[in-house]
This record gives sequence, structure tokens and C-alpha cells, in this order.
Amino acid sequence: MQEIALKGFGEVLKTVTFRVRRYDPEKRELAKYMEYKVPVQMGMTVLDGILYIKEHLDHSVSARYSCRMGICGSCGMIINGKEQLACQTQILELNKDLIKVDPMGNYPIVKDLVPDLSKLFRNHGSVKPYIIREEEEPKSEFIQTPEQREEYAMFTDCILCGMCLSACPTNATDELYLGPQSLAQGYRYITDNRDMGFNERLNVLDSKHGVWRCHFSGACSEVCPKGVDPALGVQLLRQLLTSNSFVKYKQKEATKGPERKSVSGVS
Amino acid sequence: MRESRIMFLQYMTGLLILVFGSMHFLAISALAPTSDKILYLYNSSSGAHTLIGGTLNYYSVKAVYTSLAWGSVFELLLTFLVFHVFNGFRVILSEQFPGGTSEKIITYSMLIVALIIFIYGSNTIVVMLNGGGI
Amino acid sequence: MTIENKKGWISWFNPFRYGTDRWMYSLHRLTGIILGFYLIAHVWETSHILDGPITWNSLMVFLDYPFGPHFGPFILSGVLLVAVYHALNGIRLTIVENGLMLPKPYRPEFPYRPKSLKGLNNVLKILLGVLMIIISAIGIYFIFTGVIL
Ligand code: SF4
Ligand code: FES
Repeated sequence: MQEIALKGFGEVLKTVTFRVRRYDPEKRELAKYMEYKVPVQMGMTVLDGILYIKEHLDHSVSARYSCRMGICGSCGMIINGKEQLACQTQILELNKDLIKVDPMGNYPIVKDLVPDLSKLFRNHGSVKPYIIREEEEPKSEFIQTPEQREEYAMFTDCILCGMCLSACPTNATDELYLGPQSLAQGYRYITDNRDMGFNERLNVLDSKHGVWRCHFSGACSEVCPKGVDPALGVQLLRQLLTSNSFVKYKQKEATKGPERKSVSGVS
Repeated sequence: MRESRIMFLQYMTGLLILVFGSMHFLAISALAPTSDKILYLYNSSSGAHTLIGGTLNYYSVKAVYTSLAWGSVFELLLTFLVFHVFNGFRVILSEQFPGGTSEKIITYSMLIVALIIFIYGSNTIVVMLNGGGI
Repeated sequence: MTIENKKGWISWFNPFRYGTDRWMYSLHRLTGIILGFYLIAHVWETSHILDGPITWNSLMVFLDYPFGPHFGPFILSGVLLVAVYHALNGIRLTIVENGLMLPKPYRPEFPYRPKSLKGLNNVLKILLGVLMIIISAIGIYFIFTGVIL
């Protein structure tokens, strides 16, 4: 069994052409494509291919990556026309002889395949992605049942890769739009029963470039590598805001557990 | 106005346009005040194209316009349509040219164009309701 | 120095690989713009009723025969198709964008197919297609023959 599984492992199965979009910030040249021939072994990902180019063919090709296992969300790029994590995309599964690699759209490019994600993090910060409470120092735990956790659990899987903003057709023209990622995170914190910050987030979410600029093209959910389904979060958030303008949204107050004497000093 | 209110109106006017818009189709088809419900009826024998009947003939259309019921249907439809269309244009344009000043310009110019279309269309409807035209 | 890399509005019409919802979004926009301009033209056109029977009738004949025999009905059928699509997709969006007929939050599982674009949303899309064929068939039949089924 082992031998069958490993058959062909380590051999060069075929050679594919990588067409990589280059941008050199020092020469201020406009981006152009360059082609590289890469021998492919079984199990090689697109990121491995780019690293092969960097090692053997052209040292100046730049890409951002870190974990190589789809957790850090650094390596999003447009592979054959669709946003994908380079470290999660098998070259052999693409089944093409030409692999076109572009940097993510709708972000400024720093160099080659490296986008400047500061817009994503700024938008993420603007929806206050943390639990907001009135009391300064909680005296006891907040009780949350597993069912209450299920209401938002799927949106916590986001790895901030930013590919949804690259796929979004609104972001393609409107750089002030918050983007599916931030809106889904806003929904995640609003539905958390420990959170009390609905009104604080309302101004950002219900603004001119907030949730209403989504027109449900579903591209964000289509490309999300973690199945977060940000489009679902945006639509549910919108339902919440619509009903809020008729019946004020009531924040779910988490029941508190037994009071603790002192929180500090607990190991 | 908050964006959520505006977009709520956008959805509601959309649904109302559906109701009133289909009624407005009936005015030139099933409910038209002519015996045959064809759009154009030509006098083919005279060679030249002369409209002698059909639901789009002047007298048929005028009969529709001068009834108060149809007039109010058209006026309401126009109101909803103008809001829906120009709010839609505002959304598309402000997504195209985001930013404080450009959005102000877009909003106000859309408002002005919408008012012009609304007044121009209402003028037709109101004048026709009063016996209309020549 | 970074360089701008906005995809721009042209990317609305590059929806390979993003699925049907993206196509429907692009079409909804396009049909909306067309209908907006049609409204302006229509308001201008109907205002000619004030000019009396001769002007009105000759305008109607011109609109029936603009560039050749019976070209008018083809334009009218086009407008009908556009309007029917925009209306039906508008109903779908009103339902779906307000969070109705969408799944409850679920646990994503490999291979991560988004459920919000499937399920009842898909049923609505199929219904849209069927209704669109029926309504536009009736409408176009009426435009050309004056007979309502
Ligand atoms: S929602 Fe998905 S696509 Fe968007 S940043 Fe998070 S993980 Fe990436
Ligand atoms: S390198 Fe971490 S997600 Fe690809």
C-alpha cells in the first residue's frame, strides 16, 4: 500500500510554465509578466513552484508567505484568474501547463506578488473586533452555551488573508468599502452574547460605505479558503440592521457566573 | 438619512414598482379601452403607414390618461421609479467615485435630475387628467 | 513605492470562476442602468401625447418602424427581457439580502463550499429562470401579435 501511494513521488512528472506578474518598485516600471519553466513533482504547491523559481531561476521574485499550511493567510494570490492560497493549491490539481500568477487585486502592490494589506487591517480594526463591555474589570465569568457559540463560530475561522476583498466587485471600484471580511467580523462580535457594543459599531457598519454597498455577488464566499462564508455574515448583519430600524436590537446579556474575590494573581 | 433607511426604501419601491408597473402594462394590453388589444393597427390599403387603431393609437392612450384611476397609478409609478432609478444611479456612481466631495456632487446632481424628470413626467400626467393636450 | 492595482468596473464582466451569483450581480447592474435610461426616454416619449393626435401617431409609427420594418417590436422585446430579469432578480435579492431563506451559521467543512450560495438561494435562482422564460414568452408573443395567452 505504501509503495502505491508513493509511486511517482520525487520524480519530475511534468514541466509547467509559470507566468508571474512582476513589479519593481525601484525602477518604477509598470508591471509586466515573466515566464519561468518549473519541473513539477508530486505534492508541489504553487508556493513551492515560486520558491523553486526564487532558488534556481530568478532570485528577485518576491512573494509573501509564512506557514506554508494555510493558517497564516499571507500567501493569497490570483492563480489562473481566481484568488487562492498559493500554499494550498496543488500544481498537478490545477491540471494546466500554464500557471498565471498575479498579485491580489484591489490592494496596492509593494513588489511583484506582495500586496499592501494595510487597508484590510484598518477596516478590520474599524469594526472593533473585540468584546465591548461597560464594566472595566469583570468580576465573574460570562456564561455562554455551546448553542450560543454556534451562532458566530463559523466567522471566527477567518485568517485575514484578504482574498475576499480582492474578489469583491464593490471593492474593485470603491476603496472606502469596508469589505466582506470586516463586515463578517462585525457580525461575529455583535452576535456574541457577551458583547454589548452594537451601538458603537452601528456608525461604521451602517455608513455610506458599510454593509449596504454589498450586492451579494457571492464572490467572497466563493474564494474564501476557510469556508467562512463572509457573504452569509453580511446578509445576516443586514437583516439585523433592517430590523433594528423598526424594533431596537436588544443585546443579549450573558448571564454571569459566580463572583470571584480577586482576578489578579490567579495563575 | 441613514443608509439603512434609504436602502429599505429602495427595496420597498422596487416591490411597489413591480405591482404598479404590471398594472401599467395592462393599460396598453388587457385593460385597454379598445375592442382589439393589438398594439398597432395600420391602414395598409393606403400604402403609407397610417395608424387607424390599436392600443397605442392617440384616442386609446388619451382615454387611459384621462381616467383618474390610471392617472394616479401612473403618478405613483413615476414617483417610485424616479426614487428607485436615481438612488440606484447614486449607489453605482458613488461606488465608482468614492470620496467625500465627489459623493456630495453625485448625490445633489442625482437629486436635481430626479426632480426634473419627476416634474416633467407629472406635468404630462396632470395636464392629461385635465382633458389634456390639443 | 507601491502601485495601485484596483480591478475596476471592468472586472464585473470578468466573472469566470466566481459562480452564478457574480454573473447575476453584473447583469442586475447592467439591466438597471439600461432601465434607468429607458425611463428617461419613456417619460420624454409619452410627453408627446400633449402635442395632439398627429404628432403622437407619427411618433408611434416611427417607434414601430425606426430602422426598418418592424424593428420596434424587437427593441420592445429587449426592454421587456431586461425589465423581467431586473424585476425577478430584484425579488430574489430582496429576500436573500435581508437574510431570509439563507442557512443558519454552520460549521465549515472541507472542501468549504459556501452554503449561502446554494440551498434555497439556488431554488430561487432556478425559479427565476423558469418564470423569466414564461413571462417573457407571453410578453413577446403579445408584442408581436397582440394576443394574450
Ligand atoms: S473571510 Fe475568508 S477570504 Fe476573507 S479574509 Fe477571512 S479567511 Fe480570507
Ligand atoms: S503561507 Fe501561510 S497561508 Fe499560505
